[in-house]
Amino acid sequence: MIISFSSKLIIKGSNTIFPVAQLWIEELKKENPDLEITLEGAGSSTGIAALLNGTTDIANSSRFLKEKEIQKMNEEGKYFAPIVVAYDGIAIIVNKKLGIDNISLETLKGIYTGKLRTWNQVNPNLPKKRIVIYSRNTASGTFETFENKVLKGERMAPTVKMVESTQFEIEQVSKNPYAIAYVGIGYVTEDVKVLKVENIEPTKINILNSSYPISRPLFMFIDVTNGWPESGAIKEYITFGLSKKGQDLAEKAGYIAAYGF
Amino acid sequence: MRELKDKINSLIIKVVALSGIISLLLIFGFVIKEAIPALKEAGMEIFTSFDWYPTYDPPAYGILTMLINSILLTIFSSLIVLPLGYIVAFFMYDYASDFEKRMIKGAIDLLSGVPSVIIGMFLIIYVSPWMLEIGAWSAENILLASIGLTILSLPYTASLMEEAMSSIDKSLKEGALALGTTRFTAGFNVVYKAALPGIFNAIILTVNRIIGETMVVLMAAGGANMLPLSIFDPIRPLTAAIASEMGEVEIGSIHYSALFVSGLVLLTISFILTLTSKRLSRRWSK
Repeated sequence: MIISFSSKLIIKGSNTIFPVAQLWIEELKKENPDLEITLEGAGSSTGIAALLNGTTDIANSSRFLKEKEIQKMNEEGKYFAPIVVAYDGIAIIVNKKLGIDNISLETLKGIYTGKLRTWNQVNPNLPKKRIVIYSRNTASGTFETFENKVLKGERMAPTVKMVESTQFEIEQVSKNPYAIAYVGIGYVTEDVKVLKVENIEPTKINILNSSYPISRPLFMFIDVTNGWPESGAIKEYITFGLSKKGQDLAEKAGYIAAYGF
Repeated sequence: MRELKDKINSLIIKVVALSGIISLLLIFGFVIKEAIPALKEAGMEIFTSFDWYPTYDPPAYGILTMLINSILLTIFSSLIVLPLGYIVAFFMYDYASDFEKRMIKGAIDLLSGVPSVIIGMFLIIYVSPWMLEIGAWSAENILLASIGLTILSLPYTASLMEEAMSSIDKSLKEGALALGTTRFTAGFNVVYKAALPGIFNAIILTVNRIIGETMVVLMAAGGANMLPLSIFDPIRPLTAAIASEMGEVEIGSIHYSALFVSGLVLLTISFILTLTSKRLSRRWSK
């Protein structure tokens, strides 16, 4: 057994999942005050790397394993099980004053790769103003999802402004009428306008069945090389996360529950 | 008894001084060790390429754009801070009454205690909307970062320069005045020359501080890895890139190591600046 000697649970990884994990831990601690859990938000890649070298029990990840990681896992004779904890849609947000409601993936790619520089190139009815493009920094899982689903391997233009926090993106888009950004759907506020992508709204059902084009499952990975944890802290944590209550908390954090509504 | 005390004291001082030297060596050693994998893997491309795409496939680890951004921002901010700092210092040294001097000193001390993150927030919340009004396309840009760096380093520059001028023997100024120079000439031409090593030191320390400042440029410079054409373009200096990506990077990867290469470049620049300042002030004081 992996953790039968201690009841201390270490969780590392995605900053996207961090708020969900935090809510779960708070709730679990209410029921079981002896439980010792440390949670560290450090990015999906860091979490998976920590799982590979055995310094964490659970790796939160806002993306599936990369080929490189699977290879390394195989080389070391390990086996990680993915568990979908929730779904997340990436919302494209613009200022409320901008006269646009829908955007195609092609246009979005054009904007982020720097081919479309002014709004009137997107739509002739829009003002001839330079597009101010915001993105999360390169190490974030949201960035990686956006890169895979929208840019499809092409490089982001150097004029894209890399920022650290989603709140900052929303703040700036709400102030600047010509700004655009992408954020996890859970963070969207009333101050900005969410665009439809390819005429599909990022609603719960559209994200859950993946008809909304920029949606993704959120995972936690556990090491099951020596079998599935049938008791202990890991098992307790996972069971709670996937329970009705755990999934309600995922919704409370702004994501879409992975197991129905 | 007294001899023993002296010995103990000097031992303590030696130990502390030695630990300072050792930690400097350790820092250099640590940064170089972490930077080696990227230097091996990407080679000179790190210093010659403009592309920074560390998480792409294939990745690109060029830090040249960020290095140029760092240098441009430092030059631009220095051009604002240094003359302003000199004017404030000159006024404090020569024209201010005791009361004014105490007021200015107090204000400077207070201002230098403000954490840089507070200055960053102030810029983002109150100054950045104003940027859009005066026609900048991006609310965070070189100008905004420079304003922040000015607020941050002006107190430091002014008090260092004032110290340099105050440390000059009063008789020099009095002599100049006695020979019939005006008050302005005495301060500006005579004392200034004598204080030059100190002022030069202040300049280098200020530049050093600006190039290494992280929080303000992370929040206010805009974060775009582009070569700027105007002061309204957003940029991303080296320190901002390190601060922004270090938290989420996979430890031990080439990306991680490339960030250490950036750190090494900054450390080297700051080391050379300090060394030059020591050399020059020593030569002048002879």
